[in-house]
Amino acid sequence: MLPTIAMATGFALILMGLYGALTHRNILRMILGFTIASTGVNVVLVSVGYMPGRTAPIMDSAVPVADAAARVIDPVPQALVLTAIVIGLGVTALMLAYAYRLFRIRHSLDISKFTELKW
Amino acid sequence: MVSAIFIIAAGLGAAFLLGLLKEDQKASAFAITVAALGFMSWVAYDWAVALTTGRAAPVDILTAGAEPPFAINLRMGVAEAWLATVIGVTGLVSAFYLRPALMRLGRRAMAVLLVMTMALTGLVLTRDIFNLFVFFELVVIATGGLVLLSDDERAVAAGFKYLVVSQIISLLLLIGIIFTYHANGSLNIDDIAATPMMFTGAGLAIFLVLIALMLELKPFPANGWALDIYEAAHPGFAAIFSAASGTAALYAADKIFAAAGPDWLPLATVLGLLSFLGSGVLALKQTNDRRLLGYSSIGQIGFVLAVVGQRDILGESYLYIAGGILITHAVAKAGLYWLSGLVKGRGLDDWAVLRANPLLVFAFASFVAMLVGLPPFPGFYAKWDLMHALAGSDRLVVLGLILLGALIEAGYMFRWFGYALKREVREAFPGFATDKTAVVLVALAAGWALGFVWGAASANPNLLTALPILFALAFLVLEPLPAWAKNILAIAGLVGWFVWRYPGYDPLQMIFAVVMILGGAVILLASFYEKGRRIGFYPPTMLMYAGLALLIEAQTSFEFFAAWEVLTIGSYFLILRGRMGEPHALSYILFSLGGAFAILAGFAVASMGVQPFALDNLKALAEAAVPSAPWVFVLLAVGFMTKTASIGLHIWLPGAHAEAETDVSPMVSGILLKAGLFGLFILLMNMGHQHLWGVDLTEVLVWIGALSAFLGALMAIFQEDAKRLLAYSSISQLGYALFGLALMNHVGWLLAMMFVINHYIYKSMLFLAVGGVYKRTHTKLMYKMGGLITLMPFTFVSVLVGIIAMSGVPPLSGFGGRWLFYNAIMASDLRLPMVLIFMSGPIAFLYLFRLIHTIFLGQLKDEHRRLKEAPFWLVVPQMIFVLALLAFAVLPGMALQKVDGYIGSFFGDEPLIWSGRAITSTFGHWNPVAIMGVIGVVFVTVLALLLWMNHNAQKVKQFNIVFSAERPFKPQTTHFAWNFFAPYRKAMGFLVMPLVTTFWGAITDSLHSTADFTRRFYTGNGQTYAVQVLFFVVATYLIAMGGAS
Amino acid sequence: MTFEWIHIAYAALTLFIVINYGMIMTALVRKIGARVGGRYGIPIWQNYIDLAKNIALRSKITHGVMYYLGPVFRLTGGVGLLLFVPTIYGSVMFQNFSYAGDLILALYFVFFGTLGMALGAGESGHPHSAIGVSRGLAQVTAAELPLALGVYAISLQYQTLNITEIVAAQQGSIFNWTLFTNPLTTIAAMFAFVGTMMRSPFDVVLAPQEIPIGPPTEYHSAYLALMQTNRVLFPVAKVVIYMNLFFGGATNWAEFAIKVFAIYMVSVLIGVVYPRFRVEQSIRFFLKWGLPVGILAILTV
Repeated sequence: MLPTIAMATGFALILMGLYGALTHRNILRMILGFTIASTGVNVVLVSVGYMPGRTAPIMDSAVPVADAAARVIDPVPQALVLTAIVIGLGVTALMLAYAYRLFRIRHSLDISKFTELKW
Repeated sequence: MVSAIFIIAAGLGAAFLLGLLKEDQKASAFAITVAALGFMSWVAYDWAVALTTGRAAPVDILTAGAEPPFAINLRMGVAEAWLATVIGVTGLVSAFYLRPALMRLGRRAMAVLLVMTMALTGLVLTRDIFNLFVFFELVVIATGGLVLLSDDERAVAAGFKYLVVSQIISLLLLIGIIFTYHANGSLNIDDIAATPMMFTGAGLAIFLVLIALMLELKPFPANGWALDIYEAAHPGFAAIFSAASGTAALYAADKIFAAAGPDWLPLATVLGLLSFLGSGVLALKQTNDRRLLGYSSIGQIGFVLAVVGQRDILGESYLYIAGGILITHAVAKAGLYWLSGLVKGRGLDDWAVLRANPLLVFAFASFVAMLVGLPPFPGFYAKWDLMHALAGSDRLVVLGLILLGALIEAGYMFRWFGYALKREVREAFPGFATDKTAVVLVALAAGWALGFVWGAASANPNLLTALPILFALAFLVLEPLPAWAKNILAIAGLVGWFVWRYPGYDPLQMIFAVVMILGGAVILLASFYEKGRRIGFYPPTMLMYAGLALLIEAQTSFEFFAAWEVLTIGSYFLILRGRMGEPHALSYILFSLGGAFAILAGFAVASMGVQPFALDNLKALAEAAVPSAPWVFVLLAVGFMTKTASIGLHIWLPGAHAEAETDVSPMVSGILLKAGLFGLFILLMNMGHQHLWGVDLTEVLVWIGALSAFLGALMAIFQEDAKRLLAYSSISQLGYALFGLALMNHVGWLLAMMFVINHYIYKSMLFLAVGGVYKRTHTKLMYKMGGLITLMPFTFVSVLVGIIAMSGVPPLSGFGGRWLFYNAIMASDLRLPMVLIFMSGPIAFLYLFRLIHTIFLGQLKDEHRRLKEAPFWLVVPQMIFVLALLAFAVLPGMALQKVDGYIGSFFGDEPLIWSGRAITSTFGHWNPVAIMGVIGVVFVTVLALLLWMNHNAQKVKQFNIVFSAERPFKPQTTHFAWNFFAPYRKAMGFLVMPLVTTFWGAITDSLHSTADFTRRFYTGNGQTYAVQVLFFVVATYLIAMGGAS
Repeated sequence: MTFEWIHIAYAALTLFIVINYGMIMTALVRKIGARVGGRYGIPIWQNYIDLAKNIALRSKITHGVMYYLGPVFRLTGGVGLLLFVPTIYGSVMFQNFSYAGDLILALYFVFFGTLGMALGAGESGHPHSAIGVSRGLAQVTAAELPLALGVYAISLQYQTLNITEIVAAQQGSIFNWTLFTNPLTTIAAMFAFVGTMMRSPFDVVLAPQEIPIGPPTEYHSAYLALMQTNRVLFPVAKVVIYMNLFFGGATNWAEFAIKVFAIYMVSVLIGVVYPRFRVEQSIRFFLKWGLPVGILAILTV
């Protein structure tokens, strides 16, 4: 049940984020939309790796290495999420930097104003 | 061997190292960057060579000390090594190219370049899908950084659009990856099970991964963002973006396609072809050079994607084919982007400044040839093999669409090349930066080297080791020599080749060799007239002759086709040299390439994918009555008829021949057209009668020949331009030859053979004569001339002999053609097409008379009173031709008797009896010596009589004529020349409505308007682009699944 | 058959007979025309008078080499045409040089003189010459078409291009003539015959009644004499071909004289009845009437 809810939430976030990013003309709002969407993706990622009734994949005294395979959840998605978050941060930062430069050029953050390149 | 992991490590390490430097240590930062990139390239290249030569075996590089799937692994195989080399070298060379920009922006920019190169290499090497994602994101970030290198402000917006779309792609990719992992329990590509294309979870997951990777390939039409980058980014970066990024992304997609199973390949095929054709069409309307290159990039990547879609049938040759196209594209596109950095203006015609440096023009030409897949570059071999594989597996639609796409691409690339060569240079030339030029030349050298490598690796002969081609290429090096020296060499080469080769020729080859090779040498005599160095004339000329020389000797379909392409390229450059040659050269190359592709398709279908395919096998195909045989016949015939300019495919000819230079016109008219006839000879000799839907295709050819003969002649009589008149007359003459061939009887073939010789002689002679007149009068319009007979007597004689020969009036050799013609049609069952031929004979008379009358007779114009005879070197070959014509007229058996016997061995008959100098056929007889004798004696007698009576006639001045009770004083109003056949136009003008031109014009127009309409789809708004991408994904999914279920 | 010197003498004899016959016949035709029109007409030897007068003319000019050669080409064309065709069937003396070539040679040699004369006239610089040539060439392309088709048809019919063989096939009875065995072809060819005899309604090329036009415009003296000679020789040579192909040929000079006169009169009769066509009208005429008959002829052989 829990992973299903998590996954549904994740997808809902993705859709919300995309909707926001694709309907708002303000560049900052678009970036925000993408952030929400990538959060949603991260939730989906985690929910895929979740197995009911198991513990975190940390090998300490509570979970001996010997029976780890049976007791911990799949660690791979979690590792992926960590990486994805880092990358997401990088991309978001780059987009913000772009937003800044775009604003300096035209004193506007309206995406529909930057269409000199077309056709 | 250095482990491939060090490629990644060096890139990352150097990038970090740069962070330790001070901001102002720019020179050392650049040195580090270059060193790192050099190291990365070297490692990759080392592997590539080792793996290719078999010194090393492919290795998996494990990380984190564990086997996959518990750790990421990289793989270094042949493909990976070569692609990593391409990426590394592109990065390295780009670093030099980007040097000013990098120095301006400092070490951070250099670090980004390193990361970019490293990440792209990672994309190629990795075997882990999540790792793939990570490298992708690195590429995205690095791209975002490098876009900012541009001086163009608009690049910022372009970069942002790119990031927006990248966000969506990474969403799709991540979701796809996680569910693929969920389904397979592993992130390793090799563990991904082949998944059928269905509405299942696993199916959707793999679809998401695939579509995300394909979106990275900027598929048409979801690619507005990429085009903006191409247009606005620094050309140095655009080169990386196109050559390296495109290559890496494509290989990434290829890896997943390999894993996903053959079910998914149609997806690649369809999307690839859509991109190839779609961006091709849209590119037609582009005026910005870099955006055009962007479209071309997208198209080429689409092409390779379509090849990826064929990997199930390509087997072992997959790497050779896909790699060939991919690498050619990478080199050519990088080269072109680098070139664009040398050109200041952004319009296509701004590239005219390249003319300041012939080497750069050569580079441009080479890059265009690479993109279009012309020999001797890898794309040519790859395309040849690809087409055979496709034909072997009956994927004819794919085959057709790929060729169509290639033709469209050739259209806009060659148009552009034409601009560069012929348009005015609008602004003062600032000089080219040496380092940037050097970078372009590196790409040029790489392209040629790759051409050699691919040729050597090909199962077919390596074109770059063929002696004639090498000889032609040598003229590139000899360009600094004066024209006369090169001319001597060229003539010596042609004659030498002929003398060396002719003992091995059969009579048919012999005739063509005499006309094409020796004939070429005779025409080249005229080139002694040109002074200076004549840059750019000899390489294409000799390339054309090389192609012709190879064509005659071709044994296999590959040799034939390669020779065909070579002679097409050579002649294209020659035609383009004409003063107003630009549009005509373009239509020439388009028709020729269209024809060449038809030939390619024909050979591919004929061979059923089995190489090498000897030309003689066509016979077996026909004898076995394979269902595809008539189609092969149609394709090959259409291909050959583009060269003979048969009606419907003729519109390129008048302009191409008329606008060419004085000594080029006879080459392309007298010689080049015969290549088409040679092809038709081979075709008909081997395949004979073929029936399609109950229609005998040779009868169709008879009709086409007759129509060409008739309409060509009719169009010729209404020309005011002397060279155009001759050009239209070529259409007509070649129509006769086609007609004779297609009659499929002994005498008909002999007739065609006779036309090969005759048309070569008199058309070359007439073109040279008219060219000589043009040199003196500076006009080709006949009504502006008149009365030149006394000023240019030699030229007059050659025109006189030429028109008597061509019109078929006894005693000259044209009559022999007519006589054979009647004997040929008597032996045929066809009746109606003869009506057209009967009519075109006298019509030829009309235009020929007009030619000689309006130029040499009538009233001399005031401005021409001081003209001299045509230049000596133009007259020399004409006089040789006059003698040849006379000799051929008296002794036709000299050339024809052997051919007659040879043809007899095909038909098994002996319709002509050669007794002494007389020839007897089943129906009639012909005694050329007697004819000449009777006419000669009568003529001399009558002349003597007249001299006896009128020897004291007084020579009078020009205006000593009286008409309508006024005395003329102005040559302009007295010379009857313009619209010479006005009544004829009234009666028959409706037959020369330019229907064919309108037809082809409508096709190109509709392509252009489609392009103009469709490209408005790219609104320029980043958000719209993002929406388009999403729609594209959904639509693709629905269609794919709909297609699969 | 090979060349012997005596052939030259035979050929000269043929030529002599034909020229004199042509002189008198064309004069006779003009005289008949005059009598029909209620005039007295010319004396029968008028052609000889004209010839002598022209040759004797004292003022002689030339516009250049080609101009000078024009009449030579013209007469060579006429003489050659006559000599390449056997005149009298069955006679050894009057086979001429027909071994040099067959029907096709005759067909194409017709243009030899035309071309040369047109070139010569062109050099005179007189626009009327050029206009006449332009008209003549334009008209002949359409007018010759039915003949070409007719020739094709009869060579199919007789399966030979050899004129002697064609004549041989027509011997025996009048109903063996092509005229009766293949009337369509004969009609087609007669279109061409009427169209190329330089008589009304197809004589706009020379327009003999008004301002002089066409090649002879600038010619005079001996030049004109040569052309005049050709004017009487050439039609006869042409009629000989028609006679051989369609009307059974001639086995002796009497038959020759009658047949040539009769065939010649066809064009004369049509000429006096119909008014002149403009060039484009005559082209359309031949395409509309001559061409279909010709096509029918080759389809029905």
